[in-house]
Amino acid sequence: MSDTLLAFKAGRAFRRDGSNIIEPNPTKGAIVLSNGEDGLLHFIWRNRTTNVDEEAGDEMDLILFPSDATFTKVSQSSGRVYVLKFSSSNQRHFFWMQDASSTRDQEFADNVNGLLQDPEYELVWNTAASSFQPQASSSTQGASSHRSSGSNFQATPEQLAALQAALTTMSASTTQQESDLSLTDILTPANLTPLFNTHPELISTLFPHLPPDLPVPPSADAIQRIIHSPQFRSAVSSFDQALRTGLLGGLVRGLGLPDEAGTGIVPFLRAVQEQADRENSEDGSNSMDTN
Amino acid sequence: MSGDDDSNGWQLTESDPGVFTELLKTLGVPLIVDDLYSLDPESLAALQPLHALIFLFKWIPTTSSSSTSSGGDYDSEFPGFFAHQVVNNACATLAVMNAIGNIPSLPTGPQLGDLLSFSNGMDPQTRGLVITSADWLREAHNALSPPSAISLDGLGLPRKTEDAYHFVVYLPVMGALYELDGLKPYAVRHGSYEQGGEGWVKKAREAIEARINTYPAGALEFSLLALRDDPLPTLQAQIQQLESTGNAAAAAEAHAILANEHGKRERWAFENSLRRYNHVGLVHALLVALAKGGKLGQTQEKARAVMKERIERRKARGEDMEEE
Repeated sequence: MSDTLLAFKAGRAFRRDGSNIIEPNPTKGAIVLSNGEDGLLHFIWRNRTTNVDEEAGDEMDLILFPSDATFTKVSQSSGRVYVLKFSSSNQRHFFWMQDASSTRDQEFADNVNGLLQDPEYELVWNTAASSFQPQASSSTQGASSHRSSGSNFQATPEQLAALQAALTTMSASTTQQESDLSLTDILTPANLTPLFNTHPELISTLFPHLPPDLPVPPSADAIQRIIHSPQFRSAVSSFDQALRTGLLGGLVRGLGLPDEAGTGIVPFLRAVQEQADRENSEDGSNSMDTN
Repeated sequence: MSGDDDSNGWQLTESDPGVFTELLKTLGVPLIVDDLYSLDPESLAALQPLHALIFLFKWIPTTSSSSTSSGGDYDSEFPGFFAHQVVNNACATLAVMNAIGNIPSLPTGPQLGDLLSFSNGMDPQTRGLVITSADWLREAHNALSPPSAISLDGLGLPRKTEDAYHFVVYLPVMGALYELDGLKPYAVRHGSYEQGGEGWVKKAREAIEARINTYPAGALEFSLLALRDDPLPTLQAQIQQLESTGNAAAAAEAHAILANEHGKRERWAFENSLRRYNHVGLVHALLVALAKGGKLGQTQEKARAVMKERIERRKARGEDMEEE
């Protein structure tokens, strides 16, 4: 069975006919490097939304031998565009990074290049070097939607230390920030499954937020499996506890939310509702049932 | 050994066969780990070639420190590989190392091979330190939890899922059954076993059952894992051979087993993908979806009611206890 070595969110970009201009295609995708069953290194681009997009296609799967190709930043472009360049031909494939924050772009690119040189390359993650930069939530560069697709939630070492200190104090004391509800009681399959039944069109909005190295394509079934999983439930619980510290102000900007949303569970939910209402009206769709 | 945060960068991982198998793959070792639901001869025979049994249980400090809780004797001259657990969070990987360090002629990746030969002849404590200081091993171990700097899971938030399990390895070394427990000073020798029939497995069953029986019924939460050869290559070869000799029935049976294995690997790959992932974006997207679907308000109210009821139940229980 094949083996994922590296995966991250990336879209494709294409040269506009008759010009030197590279245009990013908005389709949400992922670059995946894997050791195939054939024992060879595969460079794969996958569509994360499974809507068949004529231009972008659904998948690209290239077999690459060591030193066949390199993955480098396109410096002439102002955005986060990278090119897969071949040593033995003029073939070029362009991609753009789709993580909401650009702070890990070079990290991903360095690891891709490492693997392209040598499939045994040990990945290097400079977690100490990552720093959070407040960004607008929409994926940059050509994304047509203003949606809250920002799913990169990064903390600087300083922010993490502050959070950790706050949490240590909290668990030592018997009372916590009194919140009369928990996210773990909201994001239950019992609450989510009826939503998927009454609003199936919302299911695909979740696809870009699934792990890029999930071994099955995004689907309603995959989402059911995920929301039932202990890993997901644990993540909800951790986020719930972190929100209770009231200290997530800067961090929630990565989700397209105002600082106020990071001060507690109820402010967070309030901000999410406002964000949803905004997006609904931007859609031009009739607003849904009010509460 | 235990303390506030001497995790030394080792993150706590789940004790799941999928996690262990992925670690083995990273180490370049052609073995897998499977759940073991029964110690009866048929179940164990189906998993052959079988190299070790791993017994996991929620750690309960024992009152007696010198006696072993389940028979056997300390062997301070143990000729095989035995390392002490120096960092609590590394316990799963340490158990794996204690197992694979004692399997003769095991193919390994280069780093693991180097580590094993480097630690040759070292005492258990030093071996434990060497293992814990191997950065590449720690990274392989941590690869199955979300990276701590980009997720909140590394913050030491009280984990509601799993408490730390303790792992004990049972396997044969030079004709005797040994119990390797990283928290004990030495390897524990349970004596030699009959070579024929079930061989060492029978002795291991006896030792494990004896251990379980030392606890009052229902007091011990435990599970068992089996470290075995990866069956996929053999199955595939078997199927080819059966098909070429026209043995349709046996080939169909082998196909069924193979399909079962593939299903299991897919499930493991799915779960491992979730383990490595930072889910915050998905959490946010789900809440946005609830909001767009006009359901966020009502689920919020429901959640409030659930929380209120939970607190009241807790108070009621608390009051009962005080009255005692």
